[in-house]
Order: sequence, then C-alpha cells, then structure tokens
Amino acid sequence: MSDCLCKININDIDLTDERYKISFSNTNIDFLARSLRETGLIYPPIVRPLNNKFIIISGFNRIRAHIHNNRVHNNGIKILVYKTEPDATDYQCLLKSISSLAFQRSLTLAELILCTKRLHEFLDKQQIAQKSPAIFNTELAEGFVRDLLFIGDLPDPGLQLIHTGNLSFKSAKRISLLGKETIKVFLDIFSKIHASQNKQLEIILYIMEISARDAIKPKAVYMNQEIQDILSDEKKDPGLKTRDLRACLFEQRFPIVFKAHQRVMEKITSIKLGNNIKILPPKNLDSQDYSISFTAKNYNQFQAKVQSLHKSLENKKLKELFTP
Amino acid sequence: MKIDTLFIDKAIPENFEIKYIISRLGADPQWVENTKTVYDHINDADDPILKAKKTLYITKNKGAVIKACPGTSFYTCCDYTILHTGTFCTMDCSYCILQAYFHPPVLQYFAGLTTLGNTLENTFSQNKIFRIGTGEYTDSLIWEKISLQPKFLVETFAKQNNSLLELKTKTINIESLLPLDHNEKTVIAWSLNTPDIIGSEEKGTASLKARLEAASRVESKGYKLAFHFDPMVIYPECEIQYKRVVQQIFQHVRPESIVWISIGTFRFMPKLKQIIETRFKHSTIPYGEFILGLDNKMRYFKPLRIKIYQEIISCIKEYAPNLMVYFCMEDEEVWEKCMGFFPEKEGELGHLLDKSAVKHCSLNSNLL
Repeated sequence: MSDCLCKININDIDLTDERYKISFSNTNIDFLARSLRETGLIYPPIVRPLNNKFIIISGFNRIRAHIHNNRVHNNGIKILVYKTEPDATDYQCLLKSISSLAFQRSLTLAELILCTKRLHEFLDKQQIAQKSPAIFNTELAEGFVRDLLFIGDLPDPGLQLIHTGNLSFKSAKRISLLGKETIKVFLDIFSKIHASQNKQLEIILYIMEISARDAIKPKAVYMNQEIQDILSDEKKDPGLKTRDLRACLFEQRFPIVFKAHQRVMEKITSIKLGNNIKILPPKNLDSQDYSISFTAKNYNQFQAKVQSLHKSLENKKLKELFTP
Repeated sequence: MKIDTLFIDKAIPENFEIKYIISRLGADPQWVENTKTVYDHINDADDPILKAKKTLYITKNKGAVIKACPGTSFYTCCDYTILHTGTFCTMDCSYCILQAYFHPPVLQYFAGLTTLGNTLENTFSQNKIFRIGTGEYTDSLIWEKISLQPKFLVETFAKQNNSLLELKTKTINIESLLPLDHNEKTVIAWSLNTPDIIGSEEKGTASLKARLEAASRVESKGYKLAFHFDPMVIYPECEIQYKRVVQQIFQHVRPESIVWISIGTFRFMPKLKQIIETRFKHSTIPYGEFILGLDNKMRYFKPLRIKIYQEIISCIKEYAPNLMVYFCMEDEEVWEKCMGFFPEKEGELGHLLDKSAVKHCSLNSNLL
C-alpha cells in the first residue's frame, strides 16, 4: 500500500468531497499560506484517485492554503501530493486520514469521536481498542471506545458543541443515554450557554429531576417561559445566561430551600455590620452555626473590626437572625 | 421474594438448625468452601441486588455478634445494641440502605444458636439495661418462616431481666411466636408507612392493615409493641396520610402496650440515589428537597422535617400523651421545636428509652 509522490493539477481535485475530513480546524489559513510561501510544502497532502478526479484524504487546509497562494492563476496550478493506489479501499484511506493527523498532534475529543464513529463502519469496538495505538497514536480502552461511539450517535450540533467546549465529555455521555427529544433539548440549551462541566451536569440533573418529580417530559421543563426568556436573550453573555439558568432551575427543583435561603440572605444583607465583616449562613441551613468572617492586615485593623463587632451586639436585626 | 438458591458454608455442621432451614426452603443446598462462589453467583446477574434477595447463604458470623449501633456525632443517637444474626432482606424496598451498604449485598443467615446463646449470656450478666435488636441489617422476622432463630431468641431473652429484644419487621410472620412464653422481654416492632408509600416503595412487604392486625394478635398474647415511622417520605398531603396511620395504630392496639414509637424522615447515602433510579424507575422519592446533612447523608431540608414531625407527634400525643416518642438521628433544633426538649447529655436519650423498656418489659429497675 505504498503511495506515489506526484504532482497533480488542483482543478483535478474534488474540493466538495469531504468524506475523509476528520479535523474540525476550519480556522484562518493565512499563517499556513504564508508558511507555504516561505518554506514550501513540507508534508504533501494525500489524495485518492476516484472517478477521474482526486478526493482529499489528508491535507484539506494545505490544499486550501495552496489555492489561496495561487488564486491569481486561474488554471494550471499544480501541487505535490501522495497519490494512493487506485485499488486502495475505503478503510485504508480512512486509516491514512486518521493516522496522518494523529501522528502530527493529539486529536481533539470531537475528532476522536468522529474518527471512532467512522472506523466503526469497518471495525467493532474491541478491534478499534486493539488497533488504537497504531491508528490514534494512543491506547484507547474498550469502554472508552464504547462511550465515544455512544456520543458519536448524538445528532447535530452535538459534535460541534463538543468541539467548541460547550458540551463536555461527561455531559455528552450523560445525554447520549436519553431519548431523542430530550437530547435535542439539551443540545439546544448548551448551544446557547457556556458552562463548565460541573455546571452542565447540574443543569442536566435538575431538568431530569424536575421532569421525574412532576411526571412531565424534560421538554416541558425546558419550554417554561422563564427558561425560554433566559435562553433567548441574545444580548446577554452566555456566562450570565448560565448563571440565570442555574438559579432558575435551582428554584424550580428546590422551591422551599430556595425561598428559605433567600430569606436568610435578605436578613443577612440587611444587618450591615460594616467594615467588610461578613456573615455566612449555616451550611444548607441544616446546622444552626452562622459564620462571621473578616480579614485584618495589622493589629489596628483587627481592633477596628472587633470594635465594629462589639457595636453590632445591639443590632436588632442581628439579634433577630439568631432568634428565628 | 422466594429464595431459589441456597448456599451453605462447608464449615457449618449440618445439625438440626441447618436441616430445619433446608427442609423449610425445600431447596437443594450447594455446600461451598468460601464466599467467592456466592459472590460470583450474585454479581453475574443483571440485577445483583434482586439476585441477592433470592439467594440465601448460611454461614458463621465472622465478626462481632453484638455491637453498638453506628450513630454519628452530629445527630442524637439512641444507643441501641445490634444483635447481628443475618444480613439483607427478601423484601424489596426502594429506599433500603442495605442495597448500597453491602458490596455485594448477600442474604446471609448466621448459623449457630449455641454461639448466639453464649454471647447473650455474657450480655445478660452485665449490670446494665440493654435494648437489643436484630432488625438493623436485616428484617427480624423474614427468618421466622424458615428458621428457629426468632423462637430461640424470644425464649432466651425470656429467661433474664436486663435486656429487651426488639424484633423489627415489615412482615406478618408471627405464627411461631404466638404460643411462646416471652416473659414480656420481647418487643415486636413494625416499621410503618402510609398505604401510598407501602404500595409504591415497599415491594413484597405486608400491607398496613395486615401489619396492624398482626400487632393486635401479638398484643393479645402479651407481647409489647413498638412502631417505627422510618423513613417518613414527604409528598403532597402526606401529613393527612401519616395521621391516618397513627389513628389506625390506636384503633388496633392499646397505648399501654407500646414501648416506643420512633420517627425519622428519609435520609440516604448519596450513592443510593442511583440505585433507586436504576432499580425503581417509577419511584420519585429521590426528588424531594434534600440537602447534604452534616453526616454526609442526604436529608430533607430541615423546615420540612420539622413540619411533618410536629404534625405526627401532636397526633400521637392526642391518642397517647405519655407514650415515649423519639427521633432517630436528629439534632437539637429539631428536638426542641418538635418535642419541646433536647436530650443533650451523652446517653440521655438512651436512658429515657431504657426507662420505657424497664417500665413495659419488667426489666430490673435497679439497673437504671
């Protein structure tokens, strides 16, 4: 299966055929174009002859950059490529596509999912795990391959959200076990907010639990007007939307805890001890222990804060806090 | 749940006790060298917990036969003593902590009535009141139908006067106990819940009506009684339902026969939640308003606990003002707001319960 190095005409490449494209990096190719101009093509792309044309196996960006550099010439642009044997199989071409990228750099999670999914057309999960060092330049456990395949079945824009970091591996794995309609709900939510993994998992958990508790579909929770208002506010930063969504879901999931906590916080805020002295409520309001905290850089500051605390002994609202 | 597989530890002699169990079960026993065969049998199943409920392993108790109840320092404990006669249960309650407590869960019967008797003799010779129960790691009376152990325990406790035996159950397996001379030293206790919760969460248990009728029958034979509202589950209109259960208790038995009633709301180790979600898909009990308690267990938010406790305690007190009612694992604020006092000193709650035990079960009052 040796490829032959040769020059071909760019016009003979079918740029629309992206069946072997596994990279999500469709970024600006200016730097790559400049590098090609200054250094030349170091790693020639790999192409496959098919139906009197060539389709790209590896080097989509290099070919785009080469076209960019030679855009003034309408015809006759040539490029140095590795051409596969005409009888190379689809599986062989896919392996070349994956390996050529995986042995240059670590694949991103989205790429790994995409590659595993494509490989699964030819290999089962056990075979993928066994061959993974040679294909992916790293060992993949069978269980991990199974998870990748599960996640690979997520509909659009699942992979794109994983690629952009809007959907973590754990969250993707969690939602991949749900029904189609529910998956769609979560993909829609995560395309509109930007949350850390723990926050994503919390959002999934709360929606699923509200749904189970109230015997309604997760979509019905999602369609709640307050949630829709938060998500559809295009002026709001995705981080702020995440904060508001979490607060809204917490209130729906734990209405009594939410209200009680809010009441305590209102009381605490109204006390105003001053001098940057903070009062913290008991953890989960389960114990009766409030915490008072302040910082002091020197003795004078310490003395001033203790005096403020001493004055607060007569604070009516503070007394009320301790006699609920 | 019917036991369909019986394993017996080869180290156990095939005496009358074992032959009795084999004959009652009608199963061909498999004699095994060690627990591995049992564990493999259970772990190979799709639902190991369900499999474990149908698989009985008769073995020796290799640990302590008698031990103190593992309370935590954050909540007030009743200083109970556990008699370790077996593990796990044939019934299938969604909230059962035993599902998450054993790895893997194994329905074990600890053979050796003589050993049990000898250990108890040591306890009986101490100058102290003991409240001893077998219902902590198993249901006390699931064994009544297949073994001589409950009968042996009742008769053994009848011969002394410093210890009370509490047999805690959700079954109505009382037949063999009725004719026994218990000498008032055995308390038969039922875990109670509302018919809604029994129907939805306590698979394979006796109905509320059947439990209370059984309580009435043992009461007629002079047994003392106890009831445990634990775990109470909070759901819409649960207060009304729990009050109805209280009302039904006193329609079936006299307040004087009841040694104590304990109450506690549903609390669980966080890992139990996933087990409930997997094994009991219809169950909504994990979706209450829980917070992580100081003992790292999920508990209902305190105001919710206080509200349901206040309702049920006032209802109990209407029927039986002097009845000993206590909380299992609650803190000072809950005690104060619901009972109007807090057993603050170490051992104080235990002492109150001892007093009730002495009063109802004719134990030696000089030991208080």
